[in-house]
Amino acid sequence: MFRFGLGKYRTIIISITLFLVFDVGVLAMTFLISRQIASDAVSLNLAGQQRTLVQQLTKTALLLEQDATQGIIDSSGNSSFSELKELIGTADLFNATLEAFHQGGRMVDGRGRVELTPQDDIQAAAQFKLLEEMWVPINVELQKIKSLKSNAKPDLGPLLLVLVADNLNLLTVSNMLTSRMESLSAAKATNLRIVQIAGITLALINFGFILYYFLRQLRTSDHAVERAQKETEDILRTTQEGLFLLDTDFRMGMQTSHALSKILGMSDLAGRDFLALLKPIVTPKTFDTAKEYIELLLRHDVKEKLVASLNPLDCIEVSSPQPNGAIESRFLNIRFNRVFDAGRVTHLLVTATDITRRVRLERELKESERKVQDQMGMMVHILQADPSLLQEFLRNAIKGLDQINEELRTGTATTGMSAKRIDMLFRISHRLKGDANALKLEAVAQSLHAFENLLDGLRANPVLRNEDFLPVTVRVKGLYAEIHAIQDALTRVAQVRGVVTVEPPKPVQDPAIAALPFVQQWRSFAQEIAQRHEKEAELSYQGLDLAKLAQPLRDAINSIVNQFIRNAMAHGVELPGERKQRGKPAAGRISVYVSDAGDGFLELSFRDDGAGIDPEKIRVAAVRTGRLDATAAKLADMRKLISMIFEPGVSTREVVDEDAGRGVGLDAVKDMVTRMGGRVRIGTTVGEYCHFRVQLPLGAAAENANNMTDVNREAA
Amino acid sequence: MDEQQLRIFVDLVRQYFDRETGRLPEIGSPHLGDATALPIYDFTGVIGISGERQGCVYVTAYREMLRALLLQVGETDVADNNLCDLVGEVANTISGNARIHFGPNFMISVPIVVKGTAQAIQVPRNIKAYIIPLRWHKHEASLVVSLQ
Repeated sequence: MFRFGLGKYRTIIISITLFLVFDVGVLAMTFLISRQIASDAVSLNLAGQQRTLVQQLTKTALLLEQDATQGIIDSSGNSSFSELKELIGTADLFNATLEAFHQGGRMVDGRGRVELTPQDDIQAAAQFKLLEEMWVPINVELQKIKSLKSNAKPDLGPLLLVLVADNLNLLTVSNMLTSRMESLSAAKATNLRIVQIAGITLALINFGFILYYFLRQLRTSDHAVERAQKETEDILRTTQEGLFLLDTDFRMGMQTSHALSKILGMSDLAGRDFLALLKPIVTPKTFDTAKEYIELLLRHDVKEKLVASLNPLDCIEVSSPQPNGAIESRFLNIRFNRVFDAGRVTHLLVTATDITRRVRLERELKESERKVQDQMGMMVHILQADPSLLQEFLRNAIKGLDQINEELRTGTATTGMSAKRIDMLFRISHRLKGDANALKLEAVAQSLHAFENLLDGLRANPVLRNEDFLPVTVRVKGLYAEIHAIQDALTRVAQVRGVVTVEPPKPVQDPAIAALPFVQQWRSFAQEIAQRHEKEAELSYQGLDLAKLAQPLRDAINSIVNQFIRNAMAHGVELPGERKQRGKPAAGRISVYVSDAGDGFLELSFRDDGAGIDPEKIRVAAVRTGRLDATAAKLADMRKLISMIFEPGVSTREVVDEDAGRGVGLDAVKDMVTRMGGRVRIGTTVGEYCHFRVQLPLGAAAENANNMTDVNREAA
Repeated sequence: MDEQQLRIFVDLVRQYFDRETGRLPEIGSPHLGDATALPIYDFTGVIGISGERQGCVYVTAYREMLRALLLQVGETDVADNNLCDLVGEVANTISGNARIHFGPNFMISVPIVVKGTAQAIQVPRNIKAYIIPLRWHKHEASLVVSLQ
């Protein structure tokens, strides 16, 4: 721990150390002062003893004096010998005690031997000194008595003299000394209490700090843990992915995301054996591979990125039966990421995602691409085929296949299908094959041919069982699929046409068509007007032979084209010099195309590469002819302006000539087309082109024929 | 679904009858049916199929046939519960064996028994299903295979 520093425990450790230091300090001081108090008690005791000894000496000396005066003999026969002995003993003890007070040493008091330390208190030392000085004359007399022979009679007079003289002083000094000793001891006891109180107080303060700090830390940590837990819970509750930890025993962790149960379709997942859970929902092979993969990930010597691509649970299909007998299939993606602790892999973080939608979209996309590819091949033939014939073929094909299926359905269980019925199937198929060939639907024709081969094989079989018709049924289903695919392709084409205005398919330029009389007439007409206006023109035509159309329709188209030619050469196509400046060929190009749109309408496309429709010119013309006032003309948008060219009396030509200027031509075209139930659309880009598209119903009313001559006449 | 796979289902049904009753059913003329016009008789055992192809396979039979089949195998209790169990057993046998034949690319469910003309049987729409009529002791049943 110390290697990494005290970290967040620094304060608490310092506080506890201080607490211990205070406690040990108090203990040590108590021990020290207690010893001193004990020592002081000895000193006090001995000081008291000295006081007693002084009294005892005086008493003994007075007794000896009395004995000597009265001639009393002691029990041993010697006069006052025991008192004398006592006197000397008392004096020795006094001396020894004084010495001990001075220099320290072992002494005997009433409780036995005690150790006396030298007195270092100045006041006490002074009192000792005073005591010693008083004691000196007494001690001198005592030493004289002590030095006498045992049988000699001591002269106690001088001793008594000094004893009596100093007795009171000695007692007083001894009392003072005792008092001093007491006061010293009391002071030390007070110190001891102060030290103890201070030490305990500091220790308590420290303890309080530790408690406060620790609780605060604990509360902060608890808050942090609670917040982290809440966040984790929120994540696990909210995430759309199934999350859990997997330990090295393949056991799932106790915390799992809420989505996991839904994704795996199981509940109570916490703590379960993941492999046992996985086993019933994947194939045995996938299970074995998954187990090996997880084991690999749990090894420390294998690089995670290297084995990531081996994950067999990248996309697994999980099926669950529904009450109605269907199987609900879902696709799961289960990923594993290592969790490290101290450089070791301890767990795997497992993420399970429901990728059903993605997989289905991918499959749909693939299927769609496949269909598109199939349809593209088919499209080539479909687009070349006559739409009405194709529709008729498809209707007949479905009808024929329904007939075949009906024949199969009504075959009996016992006798099987008769040869006569097989012949009928053959005839239906053969007829359809012929139609398919006529429309160049080669794939369908080949399938029908294979179907015929199959029927041929059955016809050759003398004994037919119903189950022999299993391949026939399979083929019929395939044919249905092919016909439906063509219908889908046609629907797609129709949708595309509905969304985007596309050019109708143009057949290859046919010289024979170019030489048709009406084309020749248009060319000649275009040239004639071009010359009149000193312009050049080239007209090309593609599409239907108008001679094959009904008279009213043919006349209508002829009339409309003539008007468009006149309009193009008068307004659109520029003079050769101007065209060159704009990078165009000198001759204005006019493309005319008439086709059957396949939806009951004939479509006429007329395009010139002239100057297009200039909105400013129409604004001027509209104001000039009084159609719009200047403000309205300025505000009018392109759509509004272009629509005005179909209005009567509006012409951008200021000068009227035989080809333009009256503003009648396009108005008449529009009127005629409308009366025939058709419509006109215009596309234009200024400086580039002008393109008219006219749709006319194939069954246009004959009475409109009369109007066409009017158009020509009026336009002219 | 190609002819071979279709034949597996037919053979499984036939084998069941052969094993249980010693008499093969007659196989009727196989044909196609739209999802809205498939035969559903009194009792139907359905197995769902997913994986490479999605859809279902079911065996549907009239009460009389199942009753006769039960009596044939020595079971005298011909109550509806037993008839349900029986059609479930047929479907279960097909399901179990189909797993062996089709391998892991076809996921085949545990059978579900539906009583009555169940509208709830979910078959893929816009797909024509194969209908193979069966006849056993003059009783009729059908095997229907409807897979995308």
